[in-house]
Amino acid sequence: MGKPAAGIVTSRFVEIAQAGARKTGMPNARLVFVPHPVHGKTAEQHQAYVMGKDPATGKQVIQEIVDALTKPLTDEDKKAGFLETKTPPRLIGPETQDRLQRLFMASGWTDYLPIILPTEQKVKDMLKGTSHSPDEMVGKMAGGNFEPWEFTVEKVAVNAVMAGAKPEYLPVLLAIAESGVSSIYDSPDSLVRAIVVSGPVREEIGMNFEAGAMGPFNQANAAIGRAWTLMSRNLGNAGLVGETYSGSQGNSLNYNNIVIAENEKQSPWSPLGVQKGFKPGDSIISLYTGLGIHAGQGAKRAGAPVRPAFDRQISSILDTFTGYFGALIVCDPLVAKELKAQGYDTKDKLSDWLHKNTTMTAADYKEARFVADYDAPKAKKGIEPYASWFKLPPTARIPRFASPKDIEIVVTGGETLAVFQAGNLKYLTSVSIDKWR
Amino acid sequence: MNFIVRAPAAEISSSRGLVMKTASKFALVVFLLLALTTMPSAQDAKITVLNPRGNPPPTPLIPMALRPASLEGKTVYFVDIKYEGGAGLLRAIMDWFAKNTASANLVFREKAGAYDQEDAKLWAEIKEKGDAAIIAVGH
Repeated sequence: MGKPAAGIVTSRFVEIAQAGARKTGMPNARLVFVPHPVHGKTAEQHQAYVMGKDPATGKQVIQEIVDALTKPLTDEDKKAGFLETKTPPRLIGPETQDRLQRLFMASGWTDYLPIILPTEQKVKDMLKGTSHSPDEMVGKMAGGNFEPWEFTVEKVAVNAVMAGAKPEYLPVLLAIAESGVSSIYDSPDSLVRAIVVSGPVREEIGMNFEAGAMGPFNQANAAIGRAWTLMSRNLGNAGLVGETYSGSQGNSLNYNNIVIAENEKQSPWSPLGVQKGFKPGDSIISLYTGLGIHAGQGAKRAGAPVRPAFDRQISSILDTFTGYFGALIVCDPLVAKELKAQGYDTKDKLSDWLHKNTTMTAADYKEARFVADYDAPKAKKGIEPYASWFKLPPTARIPRFASPKDIEIVVTGGETLAVFQAGNLKYLTSVSIDKWR
Repeated sequence: MNFIVRAPAAEISSSRGLVMKTASKFALVVFLLLALTTMPSAQDAKITVLNPRGNPPPTPLIPMALRPASLEGKTVYFVDIKYEGGAGLLRAIMDWFAKNTASANLVFREKAGAYDQEDAKLWAEIKEKGDAAIIAVGH
Protein backbone atom coordinates (compact mmCIF):
# COMPACT_ATOMS: atom_id res chain seq x y z
CA MET A 1 0.00 0.00 0.00
CA GLY A 2 2.96 2.31 0.70
CA LYS A 3 1.04 4.45 3.19
CA PRO A 4 1.40 4.78 6.97
CA ALA A 5 -0.89 2.31 8.70
CA ALA A 6 -1.91 1.34 12.21
CA GLY A 7 -3.35 -2.12 12.80
CA ILE A 8 -5.86 -2.49 15.64
CA VAL A 9 -6.07 -6.00 17.09
CA THR A 10 -7.68 -7.40 20.25
CA SER A 11 -5.39 -8.35 23.12
CA ARG A 12 -6.08 -12.08 22.76
CA PHE A 13 -3.97 -12.05 19.60
CA VAL A 14 -0.84 -10.10 20.64
CA GLU A 15 1.67 -12.87 19.85
CA ILE A 16 -0.05 -14.12 16.71
CA ALA A 17 -0.36 -10.57 15.31
CA GLN A 18 3.29 -9.78 16.02
CA ALA A 19 4.38 -13.12 14.53
CA GLY A 20 2.21 -12.42 11.47
CA ALA A 21 3.89 -9.02 11.03
CA ARG A 22 7.34 -10.67 11.19
CA LYS A 23 6.32 -13.34 8.69
CA THR A 24 5.10 -10.74 6.20
CA GLY A 25 8.42 -8.87 6.39
CA MET A 26 7.40 -5.97 8.62
CA PRO A 27 8.63 -6.98 12.09
CA ASN A 28 8.14 -3.45 13.46
CA ALA A 29 4.63 -2.98 12.02
CA ARG A 30 2.81 -0.58 14.31
CA LEU A 31 0.12 -2.58 16.04
CA VAL A 32 -2.19 -1.31 18.76
CA PHE A 33 -4.09 -3.68 21.04
CA VAL A 34 -7.50 -3.17 22.64
CA PRO A 35 -9.22 -5.38 25.24
CA HIS A 36 -10.70 -8.62 23.91
CA PRO A 37 -13.37 -9.02 22.60
CA VAL A 38 -14.76 -5.99 20.76
CA HIS A 39 -17.67 -8.01 19.39
CA GLY A 40 -21.01 -7.44 21.15
CA LYS A 41 -19.87 -4.25 22.92
CA THR A 42 -21.81 -1.00 23.01
CA ALA A 43 -20.63 2.28 21.45
CA GLU A 44 -19.80 3.52 24.96
CA GLN A 45 -17.66 0.45 25.64
CA HIS A 46 -15.81 0.93 22.34
CA GLN A 47 -15.29 4.56 23.30
CA ALA A 48 -13.84 3.45 26.64
CA TYR A 49 -11.47 1.01 24.89
CA VAL A 50 -10.21 3.82 22.63
CA MET A 51 -9.58 6.19 25.52
CA GLY A 52 -8.30 3.42 27.80
CA LYS A 53 -5.02 1.56 27.94
CA ASP A 54 -3.53 -0.92 25.50
CA PRO A 55 -3.41 -4.16 27.57
CA ALA A 56 -0.11 -5.12 25.91
CA THR A 57 1.81 -1.88 26.53
CA GLY A 58 -0.12 0.02 29.19
CA LYS A 59 -0.16 3.13 26.97
CA GLN A 60 -3.30 4.98 25.93
CA VAL A 61 -4.83 3.38 22.82
CA ILE A 62 -5.69 6.59 20.97
CA GLN A 63 -2.24 8.07 21.62
CA GLU A 64 -0.64 4.89 20.29
CA ILE A 65 -2.77 5.11 17.12
CA VAL A 66 -1.69 8.73 16.54
CA ASP A 67 1.94 7.81 17.25
CA ALA A 68 1.75 4.81 14.89
CA LEU A 69 0.79 7.15 12.05
CA THR A 70 2.98 10.15 12.85
CA LYS A 71 6.06 9.08 14.82
CA PRO A 72 9.21 9.21 12.61
CA LEU A 73 10.63 5.90 11.43
CA THR A 74 13.67 4.36 13.10
CA ASP A 75 16.57 2.94 11.07
CA GLU A 76 15.17 -0.54 11.77
CA ASP A 77 11.78 0.49 10.33
CA LYS A 78 13.44 1.58 7.07
CA LYS A 79 15.46 -1.60 6.59
CA ALA A 80 15.23 -3.48 3.28
CA GLY A 81 16.75 -6.87 2.40
CA PHE A 82 15.73 -10.11 4.06
CA LEU A 83 14.77 -11.16 7.55
CA GLU A 84 17.39 -13.46 9.00
CA THR A 85 16.17 -17.04 8.78
CA LYS A 86 18.15 -20.04 9.91
CA THR A 87 18.18 -23.20 7.83
CA PRO A 88 17.89 -26.01 10.37
CA PRO A 89 20.98 -28.24 10.67
CA ARG A 90 20.45 -31.70 9.12
CA LEU A 91 21.71 -33.60 12.16
CA ILE A 92 21.10 -33.22 15.88
CA GLY A 93 23.37 -34.83 18.49
CA PRO A 94 25.12 -36.91 19.54
CA GLU A 95 22.92 -36.90 22.61
CA THR A 96 21.20 -39.42 24.87
CA GLN A 97 17.77 -40.69 23.83
CA ASP A 98 16.10 -39.20 26.89
CA ARG A 99 17.53 -35.78 26.16
CA LEU A 100 16.57 -36.01 22.48
CA GLN A 101 12.99 -36.97 23.39
CA ARG A 102 12.87 -33.97 25.71
CA LEU A 103 14.41 -31.67 23.08
CA PHE A 104 11.91 -32.74 20.39
CA MET A 105 9.01 -32.26 22.79
CA ALA A 106 10.18 -28.92 24.19
CA SER A 107 10.78 -27.62 20.65
CA GLY A 108 7.18 -28.40 19.64
CA TRP A 109 8.28 -31.02 17.07
CA THR A 110 6.01 -33.79 18.42
CA ASP A 111 2.38 -34.33 19.36
CA TYR A 112 3.56 -34.31 23.01
CA LEU A 113 3.78 -38.09 23.08
CA PRO A 114 7.09 -39.97 22.80
CA ILE A 115 8.28 -40.46 19.24
CA ILE A 116 10.56 -42.94 17.46
CA LEU A 117 13.87 -41.08 17.25
CA PRO A 118 14.80 -40.62 13.58
CA THR A 119 18.33 -42.02 13.46
CA GLU A 120 20.17 -42.04 10.15
CA GLN A 121 19.69 -45.81 9.84
CA LYS A 122 15.94 -45.65 10.52
CA VAL A 123 15.50 -42.83 8.00
CA LYS A 124 17.60 -44.73 5.45
CA ASP A 125 15.33 -47.76 5.95
CA MET A 126 12.23 -45.59 5.62
CA LEU A 127 13.50 -44.15 2.32
CA LYS A 128 13.40 -47.68 0.86
CA GLY A 129 9.62 -47.12 0.66
CA THR A 130 10.01 -44.79 -2.35
CA SER A 131 12.05 -44.68 -5.55
CA HIS A 132 12.43 -40.92 -5.22
CA SER A 133 15.70 -39.26 -4.22
CA PRO A 134 15.98 -38.06 -0.60
CA ASP A 135 16.95 -34.58 -1.88
CA GLU A 136 13.93 -34.19 -4.16
CA MET A 137 11.71 -31.27 -3.22
CA VAL A 138 8.22 -32.52 -2.41
CA GLY A 139 6.34 -29.28 -1.97
CA LYS A 140 5.35 -26.51 0.39
CA MET A 141 3.06 -26.48 3.40
CA ALA A 142 1.61 -23.83 5.72
CA GLY A 143 -0.80 -24.20 8.61
CA GLY A 144 -2.66 -20.97 7.84
CA ASN A 145 -2.26 -17.72 5.94
CA PHE A 146 1.51 -17.79 6.33
CA GLU A 147 4.37 -18.16 3.91
CA PRO A 148 4.66 -21.91 3.32
CA TRP A 149 7.78 -23.88 4.26
CA GLU A 150 9.61 -26.16 1.81
CA PHE A 151 10.73 -29.74 2.38
CA THR A 152 12.38 -32.73 0.72
CA VAL A 153 11.58 -36.46 0.51
CA GLU A 154 14.07 -37.05 3.35
CA LYS A 155 12.21 -34.64 5.66
CA VAL A 156 8.96 -36.51 5.03
CA ALA A 157 10.79 -39.78 5.82
CA VAL A 158 12.12 -38.31 9.10
CA ASN A 159 8.59 -37.46 10.23
CA ALA A 160 7.35 -40.87 9.06
CA VAL A 161 9.91 -42.57 11.32
CA MET A 162 8.90 -40.36 14.25
CA ALA A 163 5.25 -41.38 13.82
CA GLY A 164 6.02 -45.11 13.82
CA ALA A 165 5.32 -45.64 10.11
CA LYS A 166 6.64 -48.52 8.01
CA PRO A 167 8.52 -47.84 4.75
CA GLU A 168 5.55 -49.08 2.70
CA TYR A 169 3.41 -46.22 4.08
CA LEU A 170 5.85 -43.60 2.75
CA PRO A 171 4.19 -43.08 -0.69
CA VAL A 172 0.90 -42.24 1.09
CA LEU A 173 2.71 -39.73 3.30
CA LEU A 174 4.53 -38.20 0.33
CA ALA A 175 1.17 -37.73 -1.40
CA ILE A 176 -0.18 -35.97 1.70
CA ALA A 177 2.95 -33.82 1.86
CA GLU A 178 2.72 -32.99 -1.85
CA SER A 179 -0.85 -31.73 -1.35
CA GLY A 180 0.52 -28.98 0.91
CA VAL A 181 -2.51 -29.46 3.17
CA SER A 182 -1.59 -29.13 6.82
CA SER A 183 -3.72 -31.21 9.19
CA ILE A 184 -3.55 -28.40 11.73
CA TYR A 185 -4.87 -25.05 10.53
CA ASP A 186 -4.78 -21.63 12.14
CA SER A 187 -8.42 -20.81 12.81
CA PRO A 188 -10.22 -19.94 16.05
CA ASP A 189 -12.66 -22.69 15.05
CA SER A 190 -10.13 -25.46 15.87
CA LEU A 191 -10.62 -27.12 12.49
CA VAL A 192 -9.97 -30.79 11.79
CA ARG A 193 -8.87 -32.61 8.67
CA ALA A 194 -9.79 -35.96 7.18
CA ILE A 195 -8.06 -38.23 4.68
CA VAL A 196 -9.76 -40.89 2.55
CA VAL A 197 -7.47 -43.50 1.01
CA SER A 198 -8.76 -45.23 -2.14
CA GLY A 199 -7.38 -47.93 -4.40
CA PRO A 200 -5.13 -50.99 -4.06
CA VAL A 201 -2.65 -49.32 -1.69
CA ARG A 202 -5.12 -49.84 1.17
CA GLU A 203 -4.71 -53.60 1.01
CA GLU A 204 -1.03 -53.52 0.02
CA ILE A 205 -0.02 -51.70 3.20
CA GLY A 206 -2.60 -53.43 5.40
CA MET A 207 -4.94 -50.54 6.19
CA ASN A 208 -8.07 -51.34 8.14
CA PHE A 209 -11.35 -50.69 6.33
CA GLU A 210 -13.39 -53.31 8.17
CA ALA A 211 -14.36 -53.64 11.87
CA GLY A 212 -13.05 -50.68 13.85
CA ALA A 213 -11.90 -48.97 10.63
CA MET A 214 -11.84 -45.45 12.06
CA GLY A 215 -10.43 -46.38 15.48
CA PRO A 216 -6.91 -46.92 16.81
CA PHE A 217 -6.72 -50.58 15.85
CA ASN A 218 -4.27 -50.71 12.99
CA GLN A 219 -0.68 -49.55 12.54
CA ALA A 220 -1.08 -48.21 8.99
CA ASN A 221 -4.17 -46.12 9.78
CA ALA A 222 -2.69 -44.89 13.07
CA ALA A 223 0.78 -44.06 11.78
CA ILE A 224 -0.49 -42.33 8.63
CA GLY A 225 -2.75 -40.10 10.72
CA ARG A 226 -0.05 -39.33 13.26
CA ALA A 227 2.57 -38.66 10.59
CA TRP A 228 0.24 -36.10 8.97
CA THR A 229 0.12 -34.19 12.25
CA LEU A 230 3.90 -34.38 12.73
CA MET A 231 4.49 -33.29 9.13
CA SER A 232 2.12 -30.37 9.64
CA ARG A 233 4.03 -29.23 12.71
CA ASN A 234 7.50 -29.74 11.28
CA LEU A 235 7.18 -29.20 7.54
CA GLY A 236 4.46 -26.55 7.67
CA ASN A 237 5.37 -24.90 10.99
CA ALA A 238 1.73 -25.38 12.01
CA GLY A 239 0.23 -25.65 15.46
CA LEU A 240 2.42 -23.26 17.42
CA VAL A 241 -0.21 -21.90 19.79
CA GLY A 242 -0.14 -18.11 19.84
CA GLU A 243 2.08 -17.95 16.77
CA THR A 244 0.66 -20.14 14.02
CA TYR A 245 -2.41 -21.55 15.80
CA SER A 246 -5.34 -19.70 17.32
CA GLY A 247 -7.94 -22.45 17.86
CA SER A 248 -9.97 -21.46 20.88
CA GLN A 249 -10.64 -24.96 22.22
CA GLY A 250 -8.37 -27.16 20.09
CA ASN A 251 -9.55 -30.56 18.86
CA SER A 252 -8.42 -34.03 19.90
CA LEU A 253 -8.91 -35.17 16.29
CA ASN A 254 -5.73 -33.23 15.50
CA TYR A 255 -3.73 -35.99 17.25
CA ASN A 256 -4.00 -38.31 14.29
CA ASN A 257 -6.87 -36.89 12.24
CA ILE A 258 -9.80 -38.69 10.65
CA VAL A 259 -8.28 -41.53 8.62
CA ILE A 260 -10.63 -43.48 6.36
CA ALA A 261 -9.67 -46.34 4.07
CA GLU A 262 -12.58 -47.11 1.78
CA ASN A 263 -14.16 -50.57 1.96
CA GLU A 264 -14.34 -50.83 -1.79
CA LYS A 265 -15.14 -54.57 -1.82
CA GLN A 266 -18.33 -54.20 0.21
CA SER A 267 -19.43 -50.85 -1.15
CA PRO A 268 -22.35 -50.97 -3.59
CA TRP A 269 -21.22 -47.66 -5.08
CA SER A 270 -18.19 -46.51 -7.09
CA PRO A 271 -15.13 -45.68 -5.00
CA LEU A 272 -14.25 -42.08 -4.23
CA GLY A 273 -11.05 -42.19 -6.29
CA VAL A 274 -13.02 -42.96 -9.44
CA GLN A 275 -15.52 -40.21 -8.61
CA LYS A 276 -12.60 -37.81 -8.43
CA GLY A 277 -11.57 -38.65 -11.97
CA PHE A 278 -8.85 -41.25 -11.33
CA LYS A 279 -8.80 -44.65 -13.01
CA PRO A 280 -9.99 -47.80 -11.21
CA GLY A 281 -6.79 -49.36 -9.87
CA ASP A 282 -5.20 -45.98 -9.06
CA SER A 283 -4.30 -45.35 -5.46
CA ILE A 284 -5.15 -41.85 -4.26
CA ILE A 285 -5.75 -39.75 -1.20
CA SER A 286 -8.60 -37.24 -0.86
CA LEU A 287 -8.44 -34.58 1.83
CA TYR A 288 -11.21 -32.76 3.69
CA THR A 289 -11.42 -29.89 6.17
CA GLY A 290 -14.10 -28.81 8.62
CA LEU A 291 -15.49 -28.77 12.10
CA GLY A 292 -15.62 -32.47 13.03
CA ILE A 293 -17.58 -35.68 12.70
CA HIS A 294 -20.70 -37.06 14.44
CA ALA A 295 -22.04 -40.60 14.78
CA GLY A 296 -25.63 -41.29 13.70
CA GLN A 297 -27.91 -43.66 15.59
CA GLY A 298 -28.08 -46.20 12.78
CA ALA A 299 -30.60 -49.00 12.40
CA LYS A 300 -32.60 -50.44 15.28
CA ARG A 301 -30.71 -53.62 14.53
CA ALA A 302 -29.45 -55.25 11.39
CA GLY A 303 -32.34 -56.95 9.66
CA ALA A 304 -35.06 -55.05 11.54
CA PRO A 305 -38.47 -55.60 9.87
CA VAL A 306 -39.11 -51.89 9.27
CA ARG A 307 -36.60 -50.47 6.83
CA PRO A 308 -34.57 -47.78 8.51
CA ALA A 309 -34.83 -44.29 7.02
CA PHE A 310 -31.12 -43.66 6.82
CA ASP A 311 -31.63 -40.75 4.42
CA ARG A 312 -33.79 -38.91 6.98
CA GLN A 313 -31.41 -39.81 9.81
CA ILE A 314 -28.45 -38.41 7.89
CA SER A 315 -30.43 -35.30 6.98
CA SER A 316 -31.30 -34.61 10.61
CA ILE A 317 -27.60 -34.64 11.52
CA LEU A 318 -26.80 -32.37 8.58
CA ASP A 319 -29.36 -29.93 10.01
CA THR A 320 -26.81 -29.04 12.69
CA PHE A 321 -24.03 -28.38 10.14
CA THR A 322 -22.82 -25.19 8.54
CA GLY A 323 -23.20 -25.26 4.78
CA TYR A 324 -19.84 -23.51 4.43
CA PHE A 325 -18.08 -26.75 5.22
CA GLY A 326 -19.83 -29.44 3.21
CA ALA A 327 -20.70 -32.91 4.44
CA LEU A 328 -18.79 -36.16 4.25
CA ILE A 329 -21.10 -39.08 5.01
CA VAL A 330 -19.23 -42.22 6.10
CA CYS A 331 -21.51 -45.25 5.72
CA ASP A 332 -20.93 -48.76 7.02
CA PRO A 333 -21.41 -51.17 4.08
CA LEU A 334 -24.71 -52.32 5.70
CA VAL A 335 -26.08 -48.78 5.49
CA ALA A 336 -24.80 -48.30 1.94
CA LYS A 337 -26.38 -51.58 0.78
CA GLU A 338 -29.70 -50.73 2.45
CA LEU A 339 -29.71 -47.27 0.86
CA LYS A 340 -29.06 -48.84 -2.52
CA ALA A 341 -31.94 -51.26 -1.94
CA GLN A 342 -34.15 -48.26 -1.16
CA GLY A 343 -33.41 -46.75 -4.57
CA TYR A 344 -30.21 -44.81 -4.08
CA ASP A 345 -28.28 -46.79 -6.65
CA THR A 346 -25.67 -44.04 -6.99
CA LYS A 347 -24.07 -41.75 -4.45
CA ASP A 348 -25.25 -38.79 -6.52
CA LYS A 349 -28.91 -39.74 -5.97
CA LEU A 350 -28.41 -39.71 -2.21
CA SER A 351 -26.52 -36.39 -2.36
CA ASP A 352 -29.35 -34.87 -4.42
CA TRP A 353 -32.00 -36.05 -1.94
CA LEU A 354 -30.02 -34.77 1.05
CA HIS A 355 -29.43 -31.42 -0.66
CA LYS A 356 -33.12 -31.00 -1.44
CA ASN A 357 -34.40 -32.14 1.95
CA THR A 358 -31.91 -30.52 4.32
CA THR A 359 -33.14 -26.94 4.51
CA MET A 360 -33.21 -23.90 6.76
CA THR A 361 -35.10 -20.60 6.84
CA ALA A 362 -33.63 -17.57 5.08
CA ALA A 363 -33.65 -15.79 8.46
CA ASP A 364 -31.54 -18.52 10.10
CA TYR A 365 -29.26 -18.58 7.08
CA LYS A 366 -28.46 -14.87 7.29
CA GLU A 367 -27.63 -15.18 10.99
CA ALA A 368 -25.44 -18.26 10.57
CA ARG A 369 -21.83 -18.03 11.71
CA PHE A 370 -19.94 -18.62 8.45
CA VAL A 371 -22.51 -16.96 6.18
CA ALA A 372 -21.61 -13.45 7.32
CA ASP A 373 -17.91 -14.10 6.67
CA TYR A 374 -18.05 -16.00 3.39
CA ASP A 375 -21.47 -15.98 1.70
CA ALA A 376 -22.48 -12.36 2.32
CA PRO A 377 -19.55 -10.96 0.27
CA LYS A 378 -20.46 -13.35 -2.58
CA ALA A 379 -24.12 -12.29 -2.39
CA LYS A 380 -23.03 -8.65 -2.61
CA LYS A 381 -21.12 -9.45 -5.80
CA GLY A 382 -24.24 -11.11 -7.27
CA ILE A 383 -22.84 -14.66 -7.13
CA GLU A 384 -25.59 -17.33 -7.14
CA PRO A 385 -27.25 -18.93 -5.25
CA TYR A 386 -26.15 -16.58 -2.46
CA ALA A 387 -27.47 -13.37 -4.11
CA SER A 388 -30.97 -14.88 -4.49
CA TRP A 389 -30.94 -16.39 -1.00
CA PHE A 390 -30.22 -13.01 0.55
CA LYS A 391 -33.30 -11.55 -1.16
CA LEU A 392 -35.74 -14.18 0.14
CA PRO A 393 -38.31 -13.42 2.90
CA PRO A 394 -37.25 -14.61 6.39
CA THR A 395 -39.56 -17.66 6.42
CA ALA A 396 -38.58 -18.98 2.97
CA ARG A 397 -36.70 -22.29 3.11
CA ILE A 398 -33.37 -22.70 1.37
CA PRO A 399 -30.98 -25.67 1.08
CA ARG A 400 -28.42 -25.83 3.87
CA PHE A 401 -25.72 -26.67 1.32
CA ALA A 402 -25.21 -24.63 -1.84
CA SER A 403 -24.95 -27.68 -4.10
CA PRO A 404 -25.46 -31.49 -3.98
CA LYS A 405 -21.73 -31.67 -4.81
CA ASP A 406 -21.04 -30.33 -1.29
CA ILE A 407 -22.34 -33.64 0.11
CA GLU A 408 -19.93 -36.54 -0.46
CA ILE A 409 -20.25 -40.19 0.54
CA VAL A 410 -17.69 -42.91 1.35
CA VAL A 411 -18.04 -46.45 2.67
CA THR A 412 -15.99 -48.06 5.43
CA GLY A 413 -16.61 -50.47 8.29
CA GLY A 414 -17.05 -54.11 9.18
CA GLU A 415 -20.82 -54.67 8.97
CA THR A 416 -21.18 -55.42 12.68
CA LEU A 417 -24.00 -52.83 12.78
CA ALA A 418 -25.80 -50.62 10.25
CA VAL A 419 -24.35 -47.29 11.37
CA PHE A 420 -22.93 -44.15 9.81
CA GLN A 421 -21.02 -41.03 10.72
CA ALA A 422 -21.42 -37.59 9.19
CA GLY A 423 -18.59 -35.08 9.05
CA ASN A 424 -19.11 -31.35 8.62
CA LEU A 425 -16.23 -31.57 6.19
CA LYS A 426 -15.46 -29.89 2.88
CA TYR A 427 -13.50 -31.54 0.06
CA LEU A 428 -10.10 -29.96 -0.61
CA THR A 429 -8.11 -32.03 -3.07
CA SER A 430 -7.07 -35.51 -4.28
CA VAL A 431 -3.48 -36.58 -4.97
CA SER A 432 -2.00 -39.69 -6.62
CA ILE A 433 -0.10 -42.03 -4.32
CA ASP A 434 1.29 -44.07 -7.22
CA LYS A 435 3.66 -41.35 -8.41
CA TRP A 436 5.46 -41.54 -5.06
CA ARG A 437 6.08 -45.31 -5.09
CA MET B 1 34.04 -57.25 82.12
CA ASN B 2 35.62 -58.35 78.86
CA PHE B 3 35.36 -61.90 77.73
CA ILE B 4 38.07 -62.94 75.34
CA VAL B 5 37.41 -66.20 73.69
CA ARG B 6 40.45 -67.67 72.07
CA ALA B 7 39.75 -70.17 69.38
CA PRO B 8 42.10 -73.02 68.63
CA ALA B 9 44.67 -72.24 65.87
CA ALA B 10 43.15 -74.65 63.35
CA GLU B 11 39.75 -73.14 63.85
CA ILE B 12 41.16 -69.64 63.35
CA SER B 13 42.82 -70.68 60.15
CA SER B 14 39.55 -72.19 58.84
CA SER B 15 37.63 -69.11 59.87
CA ARG B 16 40.12 -66.87 58.06
CA GLY B 17 39.53 -68.90 54.91
CA LEU B 18 35.79 -68.40 55.29
CA VAL B 19 36.26 -64.65 55.74
CA MET B 20 38.47 -64.52 52.65
CA LYS B 21 35.89 -66.46 50.59
CA THR B 22 33.08 -64.19 51.79
CA ALA B 23 35.15 -61.08 51.11
CA SER B 24 35.98 -62.12 47.58
CA LYS B 25 32.30 -62.94 46.90
CA PHE B 26 31.33 -59.53 48.28
CA ALA B 27 33.98 -57.84 46.12
CA LEU B 28 32.65 -59.64 43.06
CA VAL B 29 29.09 -58.50 43.79
CA VAL B 30 30.28 -54.92 44.32
CA PHE B 31 32.27 -55.09 41.09
CA LEU B 32 29.29 -56.40 39.15
CA LEU B 33 27.01 -53.78 40.65
CA LEU B 34 29.47 -51.03 39.79
CA ALA B 35 29.95 -52.42 36.31
CA LEU B 36 26.21 -52.57 35.74
CA THR B 37 25.53 -49.11 37.06
CA THR B 38 28.42 -47.45 35.26
CA MET B 39 28.05 -49.36 31.96
CA PRO B 40 26.21 -47.13 29.45
CA SER B 41 22.68 -48.50 28.87
CA ALA B 42 20.91 -48.19 25.53
CA GLN B 43 19.12 -45.15 26.97
CA ASP B 44 22.39 -43.50 27.98
CA ALA B 45 24.20 -44.16 24.72
CA LYS B 46 24.50 -41.00 22.65
CA ILE B 47 22.98 -41.07 19.19
CA THR B 48 22.63 -38.68 16.29
CA VAL B 49 19.23 -38.07 14.72
CA LEU B 50 17.90 -36.16 11.74
CA ASN B 51 16.21 -32.80 12.13
CA PRO B 52 12.50 -33.07 11.26
CA ARG B 53 12.00 -29.40 10.42
CA GLY B 54 11.34 -28.06 6.92
CA ASN B 55 12.96 -24.92 5.55
CA PRO B 56 11.38 -21.56 6.31
CA PRO B 57 11.10 -19.28 3.28
CA PRO B 58 13.32 -16.21 2.96
CA THR B 59 11.22 -13.25 4.10
CA PRO B 60 11.87 -9.99 2.25
CA LEU B 61 11.75 -6.98 4.55
CA ILE B 62 9.20 -4.34 3.57
CA PRO B 63 10.45 -0.85 4.51
CA MET B 64 7.72 1.03 6.34
CA ALA B 65 6.10 4.10 4.78
CA LEU B 66 7.35 7.52 5.89
CA ARG B 67 5.16 9.17 8.51
CA PRO B 68 3.73 12.70 8.27
CA ALA B 69 4.46 15.02 11.21
CA SER B 70 0.72 15.39 11.85
CA LEU B 71 -2.61 14.22 10.45
CA GLU B 72 -4.06 17.71 10.07
CA GLY B 73 -5.37 18.18 6.54
CA LYS B 74 -4.64 14.55 5.68
CA THR B 75 -7.00 11.88 4.35
CA VAL B 76 -7.21 9.00 6.81
CA TYR B 77 -8.92 5.74 5.82
CA PHE B 78 -10.66 3.61 8.45
CA VAL B 79 -10.79 0.05 7.13
CA ASP B 80 -13.10 -2.57 8.61
CA ILE B 81 -11.97 -6.04 7.57
CA LYS B 82 -15.43 -7.22 8.72
CA TYR B 83 -14.48 -9.48 11.59
CA GLU B 84 -17.06 -9.11 14.36
CA GLY B 85 -17.05 -5.81 16.24
CA GLY B 86 -14.38 -4.07 14.15
CA ALA B 87 -16.76 -1.51 12.63
CA GLY B 88 -18.01 -0.26 16.01
CA LEU B 89 -14.49 0.14 17.32
CA LEU B 90 -13.43 2.04 14.19
CA ARG B 91 -16.41 4.38 14.53
CA ALA B 92 -15.28 5.19 18.08
CA ILE B 93 -11.77 5.96 16.81
CA MET B 94 -13.22 8.07 14.01
CA ASP B 95 -15.26 10.06 16.54
CA TRP B 96 -12.06 10.95 18.37
CA PHE B 97 -10.32 12.05 15.16
CA ALA B 98 -13.37 14.12 14.14
CA LYS B 99 -13.13 16.03 17.40
CA ASN B 100 -9.35 16.29 17.66
CA THR B 101 -8.08 16.60 14.07
CA ALA B 102 -10.82 18.71 12.61
CA SER B 103 -9.10 19.36 9.28
CA ALA B 104 -8.49 15.67 8.55
CA ASN B 105 -10.63 14.00 5.89
CA LEU B 106 -11.94 10.77 7.43
CA VAL B 107 -13.07 7.96 5.11
CA PHE B 108 -14.73 4.72 6.32
CA ARG B 109 -14.46 1.63 4.10
CA GLU B 110 -15.50 -2.00 4.43
CA LYS B 111 -12.96 -4.34 2.87
CA ALA B 112 -14.48 -6.46 0.09
CA GLY B 113 -14.62 -10.26 0.44
CA ALA B 114 -14.24 -12.32 3.57
CA TYR B 115 -12.01 -11.10 6.39
CA ASP B 116 -9.08 -13.20 5.20
CA GLN B 117 -9.25 -12.16 1.55
CA GLU B 118 -7.27 -9.44 -0.22
CA ASP B 119 -8.96 -6.30 -1.57
CA ALA B 120 -6.46 -5.00 -4.12
CA LYS B 121 -8.92 -2.34 -5.33
CA LEU B 122 -9.21 -0.77 -1.88
CA TRP B 123 -5.45 -0.84 -1.28
CA ALA B 124 -4.99 0.93 -4.67
CA GLU B 125 -7.57 3.54 -3.70
CA ILE B 126 -5.82 4.24 -0.39
CA LYS B 127 -2.46 4.44 -2.16
CA GLU B 128 -3.88 7.00 -4.59
CA LYS B 129 -6.11 9.09 -2.36
CA GLY B 130 -5.11 8.40 1.22
CA ASP B 131 -2.34 9.64 3.51
CA ALA B 132 -2.77 7.01 6.23
CA ALA B 133 -4.94 4.04 7.20
CA ILE B 134 -6.27 2.58 10.43
CA ILE B 135 -7.20 -1.06 9.97
CA ALA B 136 -9.24 -2.86 12.62
CA VAL B 137 -9.33 -6.64 12.81
CA GLY B 138 -12.19 -6.95 15.29
CA HIS B 139 -13.09 -10.17 17.14
